[in-house]
Amino acid sequence: MEVMAAKNLNYRYEPDSPPVLWDINLQLQRGEFAVVSGLSGCGKSTLCLCLSGAIRHQRDGIMSGEIWLNGKNTRDIRGAELALEVGIVFQDPDTQLFSPTVEDEIAFAPENLCLPPELIQERLDYVLDILGITALRYANPAHLSGGEKQLVALAAVLALDPPLLILDEVMSQLDAAANKAVAAAIYKLHSQGKTILAVEHNLEALMGADRLLIMERGHLIRSDKPEVILSDRDFLLVHQLADD
Amino acid sequence: MKVDPRSKMLLVICISGLALIYNNPLQLALLLAVSLALLGAFRFDIGMIGGYLRPLVSLLLILFLIQCLFTKGGQVWLTIGQLELVSSAGLIAGASVVLRILVVVNSAMLLTTCSSRDFVLGLIQWKVPYEIAFMVSIALRFLPLFRDEMQNVITAVQLRGVELKKVAWGEKISMYRTLIFPVVYRTMLKAQQLSIVMEARGFRAYPRRTYLRRLDLYWADYVIMSLALTVTVILLVGQIL
Amino acid sequence: MSFIELRQVEFCYPRQSSPAVTDINLKLEKKAITAVVGPNGSGKTTLTRLIIGILPPDKGEIYLTRSPLARYTLAEVGARIGYIFQNPDLQLFCPSVAEEIAFGLSRAGQGPQWIKEKVDFFLEYFELDGYRNSFPMHLSQGEKQRLAIAAVLAHEPEYLILDEPTIGLDAFRKKQLVEYLHKVAGLGRGMLLVSHDMAFVNKLAERLISMENGRIQSDSERRGRLLNEG
Repeated sequence: MEVMAAKNLNYRYEPDSPPVLWDINLQLQRGEFAVVSGLSGCGKSTLCLCLSGAIRHQRDGIMSGEIWLNGKNTRDIRGAELALEVGIVFQDPDTQLFSPTVEDEIAFAPENLCLPPELIQERLDYVLDILGITALRYANPAHLSGGEKQLVALAAVLALDPPLLILDEVMSQLDAAANKAVAAAIYKLHSQGKTILAVEHNLEALMGADRLLIMERGHLIRSDKPEVILSDRDFLLVHQLADD
Repeated sequence: MKVDPRSKMLLVICISGLALIYNNPLQLALLLAVSLALLGAFRFDIGMIGGYLRPLVSLLLILFLIQCLFTKGGQVWLTIGQLELVSSAGLIAGASVVLRILVVVNSAMLLTTCSSRDFVLGLIQWKVPYEIAFMVSIALRFLPLFRDEMQNVITAVQLRGVELKKVAWGEKISMYRTLIFPVVYRTMLKAQQLSIVMEARGFRAYPRRTYLRRLDLYWADYVIMSLALTVTVILLVGQIL
Repeated sequence: MSFIELRQVEFCYPRQSSPAVTDINLKLEKKAITAVVGPNGSGKTTLTRLIIGILPPDKGEIYLTRSPLARYTLAEVGARIGYIFQNPDLQLFCPSVAEEIAFGLSRAGQGPQWIKEKVDFFLEYFELDGYRNSFPMHLSQGEKQRLAIAAVLAHEPEYLILDEPTIGLDAFRKKQLVEYLHKVAGLGRGMLLVSHDMAFVNKLAERLISMENGRIQSDSERRGRLLNEG
């Protein structure tokens, strides 16, 4: 069953500016874990914003093509209700958390969607447990380390139990130890059946993914298993993706 | 002893209200003392007050001087030739203005002793629409961000070798005018990112929302609120009569 | 005496129970490329902030060209040491790229022609020519970084400190940054690189200092890469 499908997706900022995304066709099956990678400026973050509905509902620009989430066209889903279909976590740990405690942060989304307090409590306990951050329940998010902040941001979107998770370079600003913790959390969620689309500029960040997709200048140029692409030295060199 | 934010809000309203009515520096000074005592009681770090008040010092000084020079009456303390500059009425007026502002600012700081969640819940349980309650809480949250950005820019300018103290006043003002732009821009960028994040988590999906925690009023709150109201009413009546 | 010297320096952030750095004894030479590595929280950034004078040490002394750091104003330190923040946004504040590089140059009293030549030089050197009139906030992360480096270098500091310059850069731009930093070293300046990225550090550093839990764990010389690079 398709959890997400993008058909003929194109996007540009202005009518006469060059396309940021062109002719993107992408499907994700239930439970699939795909990583999108490419150089800075290839459009991967813009892709995340389009797929999560943030573009079109909140940002300007001209988008054409269709995006289907869980069998519904995003055009037909009300802005804030997209939160039930897809959860998106961004790169910067400092601009995603705004509540006085981790508990409040995680409860924010279910409260917005009018879930009853008992159910919110259940979700809260579950999410804290599955990400291993129960100890941080009453902590002030502003005082946490980068890795912990990203885990809390992840928890906050998980609270609505969306079928699809989009992770926009969530590991770029973290060091090796924090990366490991966040990657472990991502793998765990995958093993629990979540469909995940992660964008990372580091090709090797998430080797356990089912698929690695490479973007270049707004277009998807290759889709394969991570090991296959990473062992193709010629391809990596031609597209300037090799680390050395 | 946990005090409901609504009790604190009432205290702020009462104290600020009295401050606006009183004209006498002595009464205002007493109010200031009361507000400081309350801040201490609610465990506000008194040392932080300096940090909040420092940017206001020049403003307060200017206001004091203006009131002092333009209010005449009573005993004259300072003249230049035939011009009466400072009179006792002027001093009293100047002191009153400064103290009044200090009282209002100090009592508002009482509100920072509650967590933003409690503050929002307090407003909502008093029937303020939740969008407005959140707006207030986030605006409050942005003030220190704005201040941080200003501090960053000042540090960056100095690290570029520009000795701010040696810059002439005229040039300094035009420099600050140009520098305010990136500060505002970056703060607005943060605000925009925050709004995307909040909406991605369903904010304003529906006209109402549910809440994990609720605030309850305990006997301490009832005591505080009734005491505050009675004392304020008595003082008001006393002032009018 | 060394360009920068730290003796028994210790610093603790307010409201933290343990110090961010302790027992720091360090001498840094003006012409060398030194790298400080270590995990997050090891105190690397705190160390740079102490050296530049944004933070005052709780214990110990810091010397810059033989004088106590405490005697310098922030501007005087900035004239000698160029500091590149981890987030270049924190130090870009002009309406255009050219103005950013030119900022503060009028104080040197050299006249507009000299300033123009300098700006042109750095725009070309760091390949920012096409962005001369662009708003700095619209540049990419890598471009902003180059701009920050250019703007700081325009004041001809004797030394540079770069805090985690590789964060947010992809493989290609990291390689580019290594080249740019080689170019900077080619202009005769030493630098202090703070990074958790060992691959990056290995391409540049002549001296490697590792930190953990606020202390210096090791300090070793490596054969300078600059000597055998083409």
